Amino acid sequence: MTFDTAYLVAQFPALWRGLLMTLEVSLVAMALSIVIGTAGAAARQLRIPVLSPLVFAYVELIRNTPLLVQMFFIFYGLPAIGIRLSLFWSGVASLAVWAGAFQVENIRGGLSVVGRGLYDAGLALGLRRAKVLLLVALPIGLRMSIPAMLNTSISLLKNSAYLQAIGLRDLTFVAVDRISSDFRILEMFAVLLVTYIVLVFALAAASGVVERRLRRPFAA
Amino acid sequence: MKRLNWAGALAVLLCAWGAQAADMPPLPAAIKEAGVLKVGVRCDQPPYGYQDQKGEFAGIEVDMAKTIADWAFGSPSKIEMTCVTADNRIPQLNARKVDLLIATLGMTPERARVIDFTKGYNWGGSDVTVPKDSPIKSLADLKGKTLAVLKGTTQAAWLEAKMPDVDLLKLNSVADGVQAVKQGRAVGFAGDKATAVVIVGRDPALRMVGQPYAITEGGIGVRKNEPEWLAYLNAAIDRMRAEKMFGPWIDKWVPAENRPLFIEAFTTPKPAEG
Repeated sequence: MTFDTAYLVAQFPALWRGLLMTLEVSLVAMALSIVIGTAGAAARQLRIPVLSPLVFAYVELIRNTPLLVQMFFIFYGLPAIGIRLSLFWSGVASLAVWAGAFQVENIRGGLSVVGRGLYDAGLALGLRRAKVLLLVALPIGLRMSIPAMLNTSISLLKNSAYLQAIGLRDLTFVAVDRISSDFRILEMFAVLLVTYIVLVFALAAASGVVERRLRRPFAA
Repeated sequence: MKRLNWAGALAVLLCAWGAQAADMPPLPAAIKEAGVLKVGVRCDQPPYGYQDQKGEFAGIEVDMAKTIADWAFGSPSKIEMTCVTADNRIPQLNARKVDLLIATLGMTPERARVIDFTKGYNWGGSDVTVPKDSPIKSLADLKGKTLAVLKGTTQAAWLEAKMPDVDLLKLNSVADGVQAVKQGRAVGFAGDKATAVVIVGRDPALRMVGQPYAITEGGIGVRKNEPEWLAYLNAAIDRMRAEKMFGPWIDKWVPAENRPLFIEAFTTPKPAEG
């Protein structure tokens, strides 16, 4: 089998649509997962009754079950109890819920390096615990957890490939679907590998910029 | 008298043997050298090809393969069967893991670009499985609706070409397709009619739409540029027909209630598209 560049050029529009879908679903899920992670970590840190054990249970449930099973559950299982998300939002939800669990732990890890003294100083100034967390601990803790959050986000981007199993037309779906009718295996998988590598590098570079920006001293 | 009968019987046998030998073209050297028939069959598609409880290969296409091994090498056990799936069967053939595919392989123009087909040995229609209370009565009712279908199937290709206004939800397994219909993810599941018959038989909450479409013929798949091998297998299919072997195979592998559909598919010519 020879490498057919003309074939790839012909398939470009379909692959491009797949790439846009991969980016769209991943970026929305990344944003949501950070919101989930921050809220979850705050609930755990403030030891909010009921909520804190619930977050703990959520994190354990998600981290100890296969992502593919979670996707099938959200897409096929939830409609049975009346929750019917569209295909796109099923994809976003499964990635966000999955990555959210990891982000809770990432952000908790970041918060754990915030010195006890900073909390005490906040409380001594008359701030409530929630305010101390929001104004003092999170700004520092979130910065500390950027590398870990980036790791989870990269995993999320790569795991978006699983969404082809529920029929979401992401980049991997397009390639697998074309292969099953055109049989150009080499070309399609080569494109997939290169594209995912480029996406992950771009993501790492973007987060590097953010990290460097945030590392500047506060006074500057 | 007895003596004469024996001679007569021998003469008849010799004639029959001579006629058969003349019918079958020579086996290609490469196949002959291997001394064993390396064939790709399905392992998950009863009654075509599957593995029984003991893990033995079983089904109509498996019997076809054993018969070809018998004719080519003098014994049905001179065979090496490999499980192939819908998406890996053509790569398995072209990578020379197997020398032929008898694997529910529909003869489509896309596939004919990468492999060669023998003449067809059966044909299969398609149907759409929908919930019993669905308002869908014909294919035209699917316009603008979401329909579940499996990736790489003839139904997917047919619907994309002929009914572009149907929104396809492309999944990976029959179980996913049925699940999508039952959970309301799709208004119906488009697949082989033979599969639909089994699904509907098992689940009283589902029915078939009953409008035939995407009718394809199943053939044996071989690599490109192997004309001798292709001729041999074409002759084998002719001989299976001449010796009326498909009827007994269907009786052996298909439950009585589904037999008429299979008898029609294996022994009558492909109908024109409805």
